[in-house]
Amino acid sequence: MKSLRRDTSSNPQAANVTSKVFVRSTKSGKVQKIVRELYLRQDIPCSSKLCALCPSVAPADANGNIAPFVLSDRPAGTKAFPRGHYLVPDTNALLNGMDLFEHTGAFYDVIILQTVLEELRNQSLPLYNRLLSLIKTDEKRFYLFFNEFRLETHVRRGPEESINDRNDRAVRSVASWYEDHLRVSVKMSKKEKSLPAMVVITDDKDSIRKAKAENVTALSLADYVAGLEDSEKLLDMMSEAREARDTKGAAQGELFYPEYYSMSKLMTGLRAGNLHQGVFNVSPYNYLEGSIKVPAFDKALLILGRDNSNRAIAGDVVVIELLPKDQWKSPSTKIVEEEAVTKNDNPDTDETEAVVTDRERKALQEEVKQAHGKNSEGKPQPTAKVVGVIKRNWRQYVGHVDSNSTASLSGRRQQTVFVLPMEKRVPKIRVRTRQASDLIGQRILVTIDSWDRDSRYPTGHYVRSLGELETKGAETEALLLEYDVQYKPFPKSVLDCLPAEGHDWKVPVSKEDKGWIGRRDLRDLLICSIDPPGCQDIDDALHARPLPNGNFEVGVHIADVSHFVKPNNAMDLEASVRGTTVYLVDKRIDMLPHLLGTDLCSLKPYVERYAFSVLWEVTPNAEIVSSNFTKSVIRSREAFSYEQAQLRIDDPSQTDELTESMRNLLRFSKILRQKRYDAGALNLASPEVRIEAGDEAGDPLTDVKTKAMLETNSLVEEFMLLANITVATKVYDSFSQTALLRRHATPPPQNFEDLINQLSKKRGMELDVSSSGALANSLDRCVDPENPFFNTLVRILATRCMTSAEYFCAGAHAESEFRHYGLASPIYTHFTSPIRRYADLLVHRQLASAIGYEGEDGHAVIEGVSTRGKLEDICRNINFRHRNAQFAGRASIEYYVGQALKARGEKMAAGGTDTGIDEEGYVMRVFENGVVVFVPRFGIEGVVRLEDFVLPGESGVYSVTERRELAVHRTTDFDSEEYTLRVSEKNHAEKDRSVQVELFQRVKVNVSSVKEEGRGAGKRRVRVLITG
Amino acid sequence: MSNQRQASSASQVPHLSPAELSYLYTSLSLPKTPIRPDGRSPTQFRPLTAETNILPGTNGSARIGFADGTQAIVGVKAEVEKTVLSNETLARNDGGAGHEHGDQEGSAAVGGHGSWVQMSIEIPGFRDDDALPVFLSEMMRESLVGAVGTDETSDMTGGLKGRLVINKRWHWRLYIDVLLLSQPLAYPLPLLSLTTHLALLSTKLPKLKSQGEEDPFFDDDWAVAEYLYPRPSLSSGGKKSARSSFVRPPVTLLVISVGDNIIFDPNREEIAVADAVLAISITRDSEAGNLKLLSIRTVDPPSRLTPPGVPNSENVSMLGAVAPTEDVAVLNPATGEEEVPGVWRPRRGGVKRSVIAEMVKTALKKGGVGEEVLEGLEGVEVS
Repeated sequence: MKSLRRDTSSNPQAANVTSKVFVRSTKSGKVQKIVRELYLRQDIPCSSKLCALCPSVAPADANGNIAPFVLSDRPAGTKAFPRGHYLVPDTNALLNGMDLFEHTGAFYDVIILQTVLEELRNQSLPLYNRLLSLIKTDEKRFYLFFNEFRLETHVRRGPEESINDRNDRAVRSVASWYEDHLRVSVKMSKKEKSLPAMVVITDDKDSIRKAKAENVTALSLADYVAGLEDSEKLLDMMSEAREARDTKGAAQGELFYPEYYSMSKLMTGLRAGNLHQGVFNVSPYNYLEGSIKVPAFDKALLILGRDNSNRAIAGDVVVIELLPKDQWKSPSTKIVEEEAVTKNDNPDTDETEAVVTDRERKALQEEVKQAHGKNSEGKPQPTAKVVGVIKRNWRQYVGHVDSNSTASLSGRRQQTVFVLPMEKRVPKIRVRTRQASDLIGQRILVTIDSWDRDSRYPTGHYVRSLGELETKGAETEALLLEYDVQYKPFPKSVLDCLPAEGHDWKVPVSKEDKGWIGRRDLRDLLICSIDPPGCQDIDDALHARPLPNGNFEVGVHIADVSHFVKPNNAMDLEASVRGTTVYLVDKRIDMLPHLLGTDLCSLKPYVERYAFSVLWEVTPNAEIVSSNFTKSVIRSREAFSYEQAQLRIDDPSQTDELTESMRNLLRFSKILRQKRYDAGALNLASPEVRIEAGDEAGDPLTDVKTKAMLETNSLVEEFMLLANITVATKVYDSFSQTALLRRHATPPPQNFEDLINQLSKKRGMELDVSSSGALANSLDRCVDPENPFFNTLVRILATRCMTSAEYFCAGAHAESEFRHYGLASPIYTHFTSPIRRYADLLVHRQLASAIGYEGEDGHAVIEGVSTRGKLEDICRNINFRHRNAQFAGRASIEYYVGQALKARGEKMAAGGTDTGIDEEGYVMRVFENGVVVFVPRFGIEGVVRLEDFVLPGESGVYSVTERRELAVHRTTDFDSEEYTLRVSEKNHAEKDRSVQVELFQRVKVNVSSVKEEGRGAGKRRVRVLITG
Repeated sequence: MSNQRQASSASQVPHLSPAELSYLYTSLSLPKTPIRPDGRSPTQFRPLTAETNILPGTNGSARIGFADGTQAIVGVKAEVEKTVLSNETLARNDGGAGHEHGDQEGSAAVGGHGSWVQMSIEIPGFRDDDALPVFLSEMMRESLVGAVGTDETSDMTGGLKGRLVINKRWHWRLYIDVLLLSQPLAYPLPLLSLTTHLALLSTKLPKLKSQGEEDPFFDDDWAVAEYLYPRPSLSSGGKKSARSSFVRPPVTLLVISVGDNIIFDPNREEIAVADAVLAISITRDSEAGNLKLLSIRTVDPPSRLTPPGVPNSENVSMLGAVAPTEDVAVLNPATGEEEVPGVWRPRRGGVKRSVIAEMVKTALKKGGVGEEVLEGLEGVEVS
């Protein structure tokens, strides 16, 4: 029997066709063999401006243009490569040194291979995205070379060759092809140009060896960086992950943490329901206590201690396993801060460290004792341990070097230091640096590379320095980085989308102009705007006028931003990424370029502006007869501040039409407000602090003001709510699947359990949480006649029990779930602030489409918001941005208050001692070793530790260090049932020498700003002393 | 048409006259030295061309073409499937009738289940529920799933279904799609069986990364996928490196007997005069390399339906000379029937035990036909 095999070698086309074969496992458990055919081509350009060949063969687009070439014809040289060089990194080099490649001082003219990009995507999605954005920027000259599709550089995997080896070979073959290709093409161009060297960057020793044999220049990342200027700083920016693996791989040290389950075991467990997946959260008061909310259970599960949290960092998506019932514990009643417990850890010594130090164990032990002690509300709760990580959500962290952890070495020897992140819930990060002495006292940005089983703390590397601690620039940037606010100036591509006329842009005079198509002329209406003082981006304006039939016409006019921001252009994309304008005390990070936000869109007085108007006909009793939407042109008669408007309304001598119109608006708003409350809306207004930048000379604290609520505030608010609700209904009518709405989910009753318990115990009050109306009523009853702030305090606490409102697209929820709990409205959206919120801009587009507005060019453009998937992505992003913007704003105020206190303290100190400022505070939470106090005057919460209780008979003014000494002499008597804490000195338990505080109690506090060491450094920790 | 299909249970009968049939029969039944129409020796196969992995999207595939122009393609696809676990213990407790059932189901999780292999045969001109494709696929599937290793201790049993077990809760399901590209000139069984064998040889399954009873989780690198029937590794050189690498999927051979002669790989004309047509499935499932007989099936010989020749004694024109059935009749040694030499009589089937024994021996013996076939297929480069 003979067998023959078909011979393909004689086919000349065979070499051009090849295939890529891999196995794909789908979510549903299918395992498929995937074959992708590759048709190799020869017209993929090298993209070097040196090359004379490629421009003639490179594929052209429909207009006959070829993509501009990227790589410079005079690439930068180094000592080793004086004639310039192109870099060809492999995947590991990018994994270990992405921060280096992003650095602006070096790493230009880089050829990124398709092979490398794909490999990177499989290994780390964030790095992949960073690399993509690097490739997109022109400045760094990164070129994505599709080596797999080019005939000469395609590498077929040999028999018995691993994928890694094959990919490394691909990198080397590209380098050698480039070298040959450029040699030939430069020769052809007959110009005398020196050839740049092709440098392969790889951390694979084997690949370097092979490169030598193949005559390709290859260097390890460290070796290459060592040859650059400023190499010390650059070397610090390399990822430590690999190095740590390399050194430890040989002699495996003690393993502190249990190993994660294998991926398949995790998947099996998750599917079977034995394991659960969720986002790991860490308590802000106790770094050893984490919690995870999983869909399977109503209440969050506790994760106690380091060995149970098993290298998870706040924000990671982890898989957990429940612990047996005998290990269930109650949540901690203690404030545990990392630096207090682990101050003496040495970053260099791995050998002696245990995961759970004795001190930590002690801290935990006491908790357990507590849990088993009384039959308190702290019933043991289910606990769990982390057994695997699905997705790390590590980002870059702002922090500073713990000066205790640096050895006082002179010179530039590399040493390991701890970096304390600003975010308390992130453990300290071990960083190796050669510039430790320079970094002390600096705000620095670091990133976590890995957390191995044999290391107590995660390992990371230095990215860059933001500046000195406590300098305004560094702290502001730190804040923006921590809350992921995009603060870079708008790129040119965005600015190009602005109207060419710039500030001279005007509403066209001729009504024949296309700008007037579909717009109503409302210029004769008496419209005015009411905003906070100094407001530049005026989103909204109002009017009210009587109609002949006795009813009134009320109009809300919103800046027509969607006229200027067309869907899917660069400006629109940038705005959708930014999501919202972020307001800091002294800085505003705009969502839209300045020109639009503060001029062209802003409804400034006395000038004509495009607007999107909502007009209602209302009866004198504020019953809405009809509503109407139109694009319009308006001319605002006046821009008031809240106070000005209030004064004008209150002034009986003013009887002009504009004032009358405002009086009408005010009257309607009061009726609307009452109706809203009758429907069960919540009044959750918490005292917000507002900083007014005042003069330098006076007391800095006078700038800190609690926001006054004037009637005019609620006037504007009421009509904005009405406009939003009206628009939401209209948009939902037209787009039942894709309308962008905002909902506030009804909080589950168990969220309120603690608060209900506390109120009934301490005040005998009841909180009815069965509905928002019931809650509103019962909140109204929570009044303490002796303590006027008590009601507000309860409202603040109640707000914290609720879920946060979110944007969503209509198709994502059932209609019954659209409800806005806080506003007691069945449907809601955001329409009234398109200058500062992207959601409003989208709603504008949807509403324009819903009313059949066709736009200037005759076709309404709504694509881009018409697909649900895309909308859901946008919702996710703007929800995230919205939340972060709020956090950033609060943090900014907190920082400013700290700075103001500090400035005051310094002023006082000049004339004597810093005595701080005496204020009233309210106890919000009671722990076993401290309390949390809310100080309404500054809108801040402060943790009061044992040492910060001023006992009778001692003077309140001790320095921080003196006070710290006190802590060890103090003892507490904590009653978790009664929420009381008695602090006394050891051996002096007499009543008259102790202080007792309880929940909701009004206490006298002394607020001052102290230079705190440890984590709070720079962040102006505010010290609160309880003085009685 | 339907009559013809029923008739062609073995193959489309060539239109040969009784005289031609008789001539063929006589040539083939010459004692010890049969003369085949194409000059082959009794055990010689027709030359064939073979190649593997012609369908990139499948887990394994093969094409075989015989010199007479018949060719077939086989593709094997595999899919992960959850093993339906019966309540084993429950059934056991039930006792009685339930006992047997539960036992069987429980063992399926370990030893595999026949239904995990699905085979479909596509023959031009036939519907998929016609007798021929159904019969052929069942005949081939039966030997595939029936083959079980004798070596109880080996975790990789010789049978195909045992190889499909991933763990107690998961298994592979195999889809074998057989496509005959040409008209079924000869009885297509040997061609299809050889092609299937070759396709199974080239079949690879993704490498398992998970362990034990976990949900399966596979390496995404196809290059490390493992052969369903492990092959002797080339690098280690020694052919005896892994004993399980000797196990081969079964192959079904078509054998006919003509008189006392045994003829392998018969062509269409030869089948038309066969006394008996047998499909013999053999496999190699142990380290010793001995072949093992899996099954023998008789195939309805088409010679039954051929037009008979008329002996002179019965010819009307010769009527009256002699008594019809006597005198000229000779006893055919193979069938034990009385025949008139030179006059074709349709065969009635039936074969002597000794002939069958001889067939099996020829197929299984060392250096015999079976080994030759397997080695020939082994020689096809699987890549």
